[in-house]
Amino acid sequence: MQLDTSTDPQVGYRPPGQLEPDALERYRGNFGKRQAAHLARRAGFGATPAEIDALVGRGLDGSLDAYLHPTQPEGEFAAYPDAAVLYDPKKRYGAAKLWWLDRMLKTKRPLVEKMTLFWHGHFATSLAKVPPQLMVQQIDLFRAHALGNFRDLLLAVSQDPAMLIWLDNRFNVAAHPNENYAREIMELFALGLGNYSEADIKSAARAFTGWTLDKDARFVYKEQAHDAGLKTFLGRTGNFTGEDVVAIIVEQPIHQRFICRKLLEYFVYSDPEPALIDALASVYALSGYDVAKTVGTILRSNVFFSLRAYRALPKSPVEFAVGSLRYLGIAEIPADTPGWLARMGQDVLQPPSVKGWDGGPLWISTTTLLARFNFVNKLVTSPALALTPDALVAQAGGMNATNVLETIVAGALQDDVTGDVRGTLRDFLDSKNAEVPVPLGPENYQAKIRGALALVLNLPSNQLA
Amino acid sequence: MSSRRRFISGSLGTVALGGALPGFLREAASAQTLPAAATDPRNVLVVVQLAGGNDGLNTIVPYSDDAYHRVRPALRVAANSVLKIDDRVGFNPVLLGLNELYKSGQVAIVHGVGYPNPNRSHFEATQIWETASPDRPLSTGWLGRYLDKLDRNATGTTSFAGVTLGDTVPSALLAQHVDVPAIGALNNFQYNAGKDATSKAAAGTLYDGARAGQSPYLSLIENTARTALHGGDILRAKMAGYKTAVTYPGDGFAQQLQLAARIIGSDLGTRIVFVSLGSFDTHAAQRGQQDKLLGSLGNGLLAFYKDLAEHGNANRVLTMTFSEFGRRVSQNASAGTDHGTAAPLLVVGGGIKGGVYGEQPSLTDLDNGDLKFATDFRAVYATVLERWLGRDAAPIVGDGFARIAFV
Repeated sequence: MQLDTSTDPQVGYRPPGQLEPDALERYRGNFGKRQAAHLARRAGFGATPAEIDALVGRGLDGSLDAYLHPTQPEGEFAAYPDAAVLYDPKKRYGAAKLWWLDRMLKTKRPLVEKMTLFWHGHFATSLAKVPPQLMVQQIDLFRAHALGNFRDLLLAVSQDPAMLIWLDNRFNVAAHPNENYAREIMELFALGLGNYSEADIKSAARAFTGWTLDKDARFVYKEQAHDAGLKTFLGRTGNFTGEDVVAIIVEQPIHQRFICRKLLEYFVYSDPEPALIDALASVYALSGYDVAKTVGTILRSNVFFSLRAYRALPKSPVEFAVGSLRYLGIAEIPADTPGWLARMGQDVLQPPSVKGWDGGPLWISTTTLLARFNFVNKLVTSPALALTPDALVAQAGGMNATNVLETIVAGALQDDVTGDVRGTLRDFLDSKNAEVPVPLGPENYQAKIRGALALVLNLPSNQLA
Repeated sequence: MSSRRRFISGSLGTVALGGALPGFLREAASAQTLPAAATDPRNVLVVVQLAGGNDGLNTIVPYSDDAYHRVRPALRVAANSVLKIDDRVGFNPVLLGLNELYKSGQVAIVHGVGYPNPNRSHFEATQIWETASPDRPLSTGWLGRYLDKLDRNATGTTSFAGVTLGDTVPSALLAQHVDVPAIGALNNFQYNAGKDATSKAAAGTLYDGARAGQSPYLSLIENTARTALHGGDILRAKMAGYKTAVTYPGDGFAQQLQLAARIIGSDLGTRIVFVSLGSFDTHAAQRGQQDKLLGSLGNGLLAFYKDLAEHGNANRVLTMTFSEFGRRVSQNASAGTDHGTAAPLLVVGGGIKGGVYGEQPSLTDLDNGDLKFATDFRAVYATVLERWLGRDAAPIVGDGFARIAFV
């Protein structure tokens, strides 16, 4: 993408290259539509042109305040489980997925939901082994801790019924320790491969013995199943419990870098520089594992608004789908969305393994791209579109291909398109390449404008967040 | 779904994947090793997943074993109704189609297939079978690793070398360098933009102008999108000449097999097709549910075989089944069965040596109520990889597995 910076020269403050010493310092450059839309894509699920204008009006500090410390009441959401679907084998999985996607679409607290999605991918648990009502309960837990304290979250996850089932800690008793959770809490959730020993796994497994479920699938500590003996864990010795293991893990500098790298990869760009990870890790440690402070530091930083970060990450299927729905003004989540997301490679609540989704370039395949394209192609024909062809013609000030196109590319892509792309799209609107070329007009504008919306949303640059 | 791993060309390989490059170079080096045995390079492997854990004892029924009738009073298959294979076992009578193929020597039954320390979770056991790795999680599947070793520059190699006939790519087909198309419905495997033909043309133009870009991912997206936009057309064009004369059953599984036969018979360079049938998770009222599914399996495979034979392809297509586990030996209180361990595996094809292989596990010498496995599933994989697909099996599924004589 040849980024046109002529109208907004301060979109990035540095080209890719060496990390600047002030990378994590507060960004003081221009906060225009591009920066606001960038923030909305990363801290949420994208924004409509009106929402982008509102962000610009609030400025960076005001916008970040709204994302990090939302004060306006959250919308009303249906409770799950709904008794009607809970035991319906044909509906219960889809209903759980829709329950969450609906919230992503309508939420007034997009960063909270975006972090909830982050934790779902991080502590990847699946309907493949866990009943939907417990998956939903786990998502509620991620939401409650979305921007809270990581130590509290890690402890809560360790006692979460879905997790106790998913990684078998419910079977972890002193007589027969089950190491599954102990291994993954270190490998995948908090430390990373190679930063602990097999002996540490055995000790942690013993510390988590007795953490299980009662008959109503609620967490319970069974003292008689707990191994209260001495354990040596990550260089310390004591009669450690599960709580101790969690506390010791988060104190490890390697943990602090592990979690900060993952946050930088989620919000900024892949392969963040070691110096950047270290700088953020000290913010995280000093804050006492405060996620809001750590994420806030990222979102107001120079590096976040740098050219290297701008449209640098492939959108996840959820970002692409929910973002498209929001831009088009579709108010209710279409019932077939979970199926489309599965074909796009991100079946929410059913990640492929405990590793979650690898993401990045692995979001992109022939099958997944066709699913993205056909999802949008179908979406634009929906009668539920708020961004109707008539609305676009009115915004464009007339039924003119150039004006309509400029309205769309400004609203959907903040003008991040080249002249060639504009030419192709204008020709499409005016049917230049049809057997009988018919300029955009009252006869064909409904189909043509919907078609152009799809082409714009399917553009390569719109696959990038 | 999943993580798809592939080689990403250009700057992205080093920018985004960091240390992946040396690994790729190693892969490339090993990909040049010669095939292990002289096999027909046009051979195809079709893998049929019996999802949910198929009950082996009611598939290949040990009808002469009193223990079988004793532990399964509510759901046993009566001795006088089985389609006898030998004096010990016979097909469930709904497997009429399979029995027909067996009689003409085109079915091999491998008894008691499993692995040590069996896992009884659907998800984890499926991962174990599909990645061929019982001990540690792997991010590629056994078929994906086979595809990774194909020479992509060889004549006839296309993006359809491996195909899955479902909406998502199963772990078995996850590869490092190959993008496996998932063709759930043929209609989904194309750019669908309604009646306006200029929409697709415009999409083509928009993606054909790949430029060096700001994001390291942009050219990946543009290149992949081009394949996606044209792939469906290539598929349709190649398959246009294929006419199916066989009447397939109407169920979804048979329809998938019909599509598989078209793909195989249409010069797309396809080596692997993955098809799934389910759900076999029969915890309650097993007979009705399992019999229906097994009926689909047998009748579907028979029609598939006839279709292949009519087009001269039957001898170059080997079809094998797998399921994440068998079920417990004793029935449960709901006239069903719970998650178990070993089960028979079926191999079908004109190019194989039909018959019964391996030992039927004892129904009385059990491991905590479950069958003890006799043949490691990786021995079946190794046999197919080496003797059917002509590839050295060790780098794909590991060393130390005996080969089985069905091929």
